Amino acid sequence: MDATPKPKKFIGAGHSTSHDSAARHVAGSATYIDDIREPEGTVHLAPGYAAKAACGRIAKCDLQAVRNYPGVVTVLTAADIPGVNDCSPGAGDDPVLAQTHITFHGQPIFCVVAETRLAARRAARLAIIEIEAEKPNVTVEDALAANKDVLPSYQFKRGDAAKAIADAPHQITDSFRIGGQEHFYLEGQIALAIPRENGEMLIHSSTQHPSEVQHVVAHMLGVADAAITCECRRMGGGFGGKESQAGQWAALAALATYKTGRAAKLRLDRDDDMIMTGKRHDFRVDWQAGFDASGRIQAVDTQLLSRCGVSADLSQGVNDRTMFHSDNGYFYPELSIFSRRLHTNTVSNTAFRGFGGPQGMVFAERMMEAIAIQTGLDPLDVRKRNYYTKGRDVTPYGQKVVDNILPEITAELERTSDYRKRAKAIKTFNDQSPILKKGIALTPVKFGISFTLASLNQAGALVHVYTDGSVQVNHGGTEMGQGLYTKVAQIVASEFGIPLEDVRITATTTDKVPNTSPTAASAGADLNGMAASRAAITIRDRLGEHAAKLWDVLPKQIRFEEGQVKAARKSMSFAALAKSAQLARIQLSATGFYATPDIHWDRAKAHGSPFFYFAYGAACSQVTIDTLTGEMTVDRVDILHDVGKSLNPAIDLGQIEGGFVQGMGWLTTEELVYDAQGKLRTHAPSTYKIPCASDVPSDFRTKLWKSDGNKSPTIFRSKAVGEPPVMLAISVYCAILRAVGSLNPAKLPPLDAPATPEMILRACRAMES
Amino acid sequence: MHNFDFVKPATIADAVKALAKDGAQALSGGQTLIPTMKQRLAEPDVLVSLTGIAEMKGVCPSAEGLAVGAATTHSVVARDAAKPYPALAALAAGIGDPAVRNRGTVGGSLANNDPAACYPAGVLGSGATVVTNKRKIAADDYFQGMFTTALEDGEIITQVLFPVPQKAAYMKFNQPASRFALTGVFVAKFADHVRVAVTGASEGGVFRWKEAEAALGKDFSAKAVEGLTVPAKGMLSDLHGTAAYRANLVKVLTARAVSACA
Amino acid sequence: MSKITVSATVNGDAADFVCDATETLLDVLRDRLGLTGAKEGCGTGDCGACSVILNDRLVCACLVLGAEAQGAKIETVEGLANGETLHPLQRKFIEHAALQCGVCTPGFLVAAKSLIDHNPDPTEEQVRYWLAGNLCRCTGYDKIVRAVLDAAAEMREANHAA
Repeated sequence: MDATPKPKKFIGAGHSTSHDSAARHVAGSATYIDDIREPEGTVHLAPGYAAKAACGRIAKCDLQAVRNYPGVVTVLTAADIPGVNDCSPGAGDDPVLAQTHITFHGQPIFCVVAETRLAARRAARLAIIEIEAEKPNVTVEDALAANKDVLPSYQFKRGDAAKAIADAPHQITDSFRIGGQEHFYLEGQIALAIPRENGEMLIHSSTQHPSEVQHVVAHMLGVADAAITCECRRMGGGFGGKESQAGQWAALAALATYKTGRAAKLRLDRDDDMIMTGKRHDFRVDWQAGFDASGRIQAVDTQLLSRCGVSADLSQGVNDRTMFHSDNGYFYPELSIFSRRLHTNTVSNTAFRGFGGPQGMVFAERMMEAIAIQTGLDPLDVRKRNYYTKGRDVTPYGQKVVDNILPEITAELERTSDYRKRAKAIKTFNDQSPILKKGIALTPVKFGISFTLASLNQAGALVHVYTDGSVQVNHGGTEMGQGLYTKVAQIVASEFGIPLEDVRITATTTDKVPNTSPTAASAGADLNGMAASRAAITIRDRLGEHAAKLWDVLPKQIRFEEGQVKAARKSMSFAALAKSAQLARIQLSATGFYATPDIHWDRAKAHGSPFFYFAYGAACSQVTIDTLTGEMTVDRVDILHDVGKSLNPAIDLGQIEGGFVQGMGWLTTEELVYDAQGKLRTHAPSTYKIPCASDVPSDFRTKLWKSDGNKSPTIFRSKAVGEPPVMLAISVYCAILRAVGSLNPAKLPPLDAPATPEMILRACRAMES
Repeated sequence: MHNFDFVKPATIADAVKALAKDGAQALSGGQTLIPTMKQRLAEPDVLVSLTGIAEMKGVCPSAEGLAVGAATTHSVVARDAAKPYPALAALAAGIGDPAVRNRGTVGGSLANNDPAACYPAGVLGSGATVVTNKRKIAADDYFQGMFTTALEDGEIITQVLFPVPQKAAYMKFNQPASRFALTGVFVAKFADHVRVAVTGASEGGVFRWKEAEAALGKDFSAKAVEGLTVPAKGMLSDLHGTAAYRANLVKVLTARAVSACA
Repeated sequence: MSKITVSATVNGDAADFVCDATETLLDVLRDRLGLTGAKEGCGTGDCGACSVILNDRLVCACLVLGAEAQGAKIETVEGLANGETLHPLQRKFIEHAALQCGVCTPGFLVAAKSLIDHNPDPTEEQVRYWLAGNLCRCTGYDKIVRAVLDAAAEMREANHAA
């Protein structure tokens, strides 16, 4: 046996290292909530709903057969709720269980509590429910006709857009649709409630927002927040779908525990998950633009009509962000950006990676393509001509763009992707190929980083140093696969100059770091990384002072590096210093707190600087379509993306590739179909198509932009990376548009998203007529 | 799932006996039946597994064509029919994903007769014979509309006999999520006739496109179907595609299958 | 309804268990044998998160009844490593950062092992189509495909050298 211990590696921030759970993921030993050993007597839950109706008064709800089913312990209804029957993120309009009326198909009315999951699910189907069914509003048109909104409309304005468009040399008027998207996190919604003494409860919830789950559960039970602890070690994917949507299932599990005194687990069946939880907002966009012969925009007038579902949920922030990003990287001298948040009798739409931004950007990019078609210019030239530049650098909401690198990123990608040569070759190919047509598009992304609800831009962390030199870090951010825990651990290791393996990451829990923001808006590492860094620096400063006293040097002479603490010719191990400090009665634990500086937003005036900075990127995609079937393949993708100074290049590349493919699915194959009765017909992976390995181009080239670092003082000058890459996939939509457009170069293809084969074929046919 | 008992006989005779009981249902690969039972859309009292019956497995040439045991999985057909009947092997290799092909069976697919399944097109297009524990049924008599077949209660498919055409090809346009056929066309050219079977497209389940058969009988080329039209009436219209879209696919895929035969 | 007694081999070890006829192999692995590496992603055989190898063939454990495992040889992700030594696929998935949230990872590893067992030298296209039954929502698949190709190449070299 070799007794020599393995040398420890110093992998601080800025280096690629594998995901903190990678070794457990490949062993199958990483514990998700469904893998936690259940406490003896754990009961299992299954929600029940009216199978046949979407909205109306509940005329009858006979649960006798459900209660009598073998294995059923009890059945929860709204009457069992001791506190407030609400799981909304704030508006108070999302009942945990419907009581008198249902408003959408699949809305839970009761919840079975049984000895086994199977028994609960079987019993749930035995309820006799009668609804005085009303005609549901399902589509944008239904909602417009009913004139129903979940939230007031909102508008950005500059100048007189209508007049400027009329006065412009060229005009376009268009209307198109952008579909929604199911999150399809591989781990479905799940919560496990465990009773503790004195009415307290521990909730394991697969949530991006443990503080909200804690609050929702406490509110629903009518107990103090302090009585409830919510913990989440990891999620099997989130993508926004576990920001507000996790609360309901945690509340039901907690209610079962409250009523039975037993641990209670609710894991939604996949179909139920898809039917009962919110999705990305879908839109109809009606727009007009005026521009000159060079393709330069003079004015834009757009109406963004979104289906929000039955309640407010996060629709204000989502639709605001659609507006914030309907300029993408382009300057609109005069503009009207108008947003309606329509009420439909469908499950309430919610956060989804990009949070409304992608829909705004699809509009901007379709407009670029439309201008190119009308002017006969290459779309890339139209894009460049409209980029923000000095003097033309104020966004529709008043923020000055001061960190723009789109011209540089675009130029490099244009060169490395060989855009011009390939565009020419494609023209030749299309001229000679009667059935197969190709298209290429290079599109940019500019994405604002910060929550647009300013109060959410804060984070806390808790760092402990133990006397053997090992470190525990905890923060308010949650791990959903994006590598946040790894990045924060790297940051802490860097601050202490110790090996990464000496930093132990602990589960996010509301009893360590309270009152947290959701892990969302791509801001997880920006906020929590900074908070953890501050906590670590607080301890490091104390240790440094102590060492300075020991060695009679100045604190600023002390260096923490490679597991050692050094000053002049003195050195000792980090562990030895920690031990020494503890004996000297110096606190080795600290909290850290961070609130993003320099952001302000006056929503009433629609003016301010809501974003700390922008993240940039660009993608070039090439596709081939079959004009007889509408089938489409993506041939090649080149991506150049800006992450500032990367905290972990391997993790960032993974975010970029994964985000792109998720965006590609949204815009090509992922079609949500609601029927006229308001029932979601695509509620399983056999009917809802997310990309698989054979849908992704083998020629997939992803590069990080060589950055001097974020101009804004973020953690180690990095940039957020979670959401922006989704929008790189708009290049695929535009490439399809180009391919279809080749059939008739003078006409804008009537191509909605998702561009499914049938949609592409229909657009092709429309070009011929 | 509803509670049930499970038996796994080793011979066809024992399986038939087990299936004679009330509420008994045959289970082959389970790739459709198990999810259906989870949805409580099927509630058998006794599940009779057919996967333990050796005489129902395997692919071998016979006087009446290529004999494929009903409990043979798609992956075995893909492998063992590759030489004797390449178009059939290709059809099997294109079903679902590897896990489905490793469990799903010919007999299971035919007994279920999903309107979007691939095998019905191969069987009808080949003019195959479905052999059961009781009788032999010509493919033209076997398929009787979606999820409906000539099988009687307790009757099980034991084997399928495929006449091997001179040339054949199967063209499928996937419903991308399930990989069932949104539309699939099997074209088989025999010495004196051509058969064209279409799956996935029609409200009536798998069907023969007789106009195309006649045209291709005279001139076996993709051009021969150019002048034909497929009416959208009677075609399936659902969340995955409209009737008009499917009608278009029938024609395009038929031409491509003919081209692939060359 | 009587309980069924089943004897099988799981990851090389004899495993005897009782189950109801209604229990799937996935239920049995997770709840009766404590092997929680295989996950239920959809329960209908469409996501591959429950992939296991049954008698040398890749299957979705959620679509096989536990009772069908009588006498069978079952391989799961928990059996991939040889003690402390990771299987080349596991190592390459870590090296290539071919995982994020990790729920799909066990299924991909088992599916990839099944591919390499049958085809030690797969083309990239073969890998992509073989893995088409395994859904991943995080990675975009490229790193997974690279990891599988790299592992297969390394295993071929090792076999060659041996």
